[in-house]
Amino acid sequence: MTEKEMNCEQALRQIFAYVDRELGEEERAAMQKHLHTCKSCFSRMEFERLLKSKVGALRDDKATPSVSERVKALLRDF
Amino acid sequence: MRVSKEFFEKQVLGLLGALEGVARRLTRNDADAEDLVAEAVSRAWRSLDTLECEAAFRSWIFRILNNAFVSGLRRADARPKTEPIDGEDGEGEAAEFSLFEQMHQPFLLWFGNPEQEFLDKLLREDLERALASLPEHYRVVVMMSDVEEFSYAEIAQTLAVPVGTVRSRLARARGALQKVLWQQAGERGLKRAAAPCPEHDDKARGTNHIGKGGIG
Repeated sequence: MTEKEMNCEQALRQIFAYVDRELGEEERAAMQKHLHTCKSCFSRMEFERLLKSKVGALRDDKATPSVSERVKALLRDF
Repeated sequence: MRVSKEFFEKQVLGLLGALEGVARRLTRNDADAEDLVAEAVSRAWRSLDTLECEAAFRSWIFRILNNAFVSGLRRADARPKTEPIDGEDGEGEAAEFSLFEQMHQPFLLWFGNPEQEFLDKLLREDLERALASLPEHYRVVVMMSDVEEFSYAEIAQTLAVPVGTVRSRLARARGALQKVLWQQAGERGLKRAAAPCPEHDDKARGTNHIGKGGIG
């Protein structure tokens, strides 16, 4: 095998991009390989992933009636 | 690009909840958020020719919303506002902050998991309060990435900044958010539970300092 192993410092630098699914295929594979062998980085990654999903749960799918009515009235006038 | 009125309406109504959510977190005020959404929808309709393709509608209209917010701020401030320079606004220390590093206790092995317990206790209100306390340029990237699930490229397009800036700003914003959450945790005594203390290991006694309810 010729590819260089990722160390913890490199993994931590990429952790948000990994959680956000923003790494390229090669970087993602290297990261996964590191996470398989490093419990500490894996735990950190899991923490960031869970916190991200907690923040994601703040999402508002439905507008309030007041905004909805106002925008519908606007759209009717366009 | 000209799209049909039907397409425009369908897209706007489908995104309305998200637009209002982002507007509310930008303005931190329900009435201002409603005005901002209305302003953004009107601007979007007037500038339909700037929409490159139908697939770009979402990032396009969020960009218009963000621009409407920024120009509203400029009017309110009556002074020009420049793009913030990350890390040069006294936020460097907060940006480096990691909640995980504050709490992780490798020696606990399988006996306990303070960081997991911390997340379990985190309430929507805690997160809303922490998010609202962030500077606007941090708040917006966290909302776009974590709440609205925009890609880095879409955020870059929306905010008219390079992708590298989105990446570094998001890392700093998350550090800042985590620092606020940690401070809020301190207000509720949660830090005591999370701080490593190998010589006074409560797990051995089967006790747990983390109180009931949230941290905020």
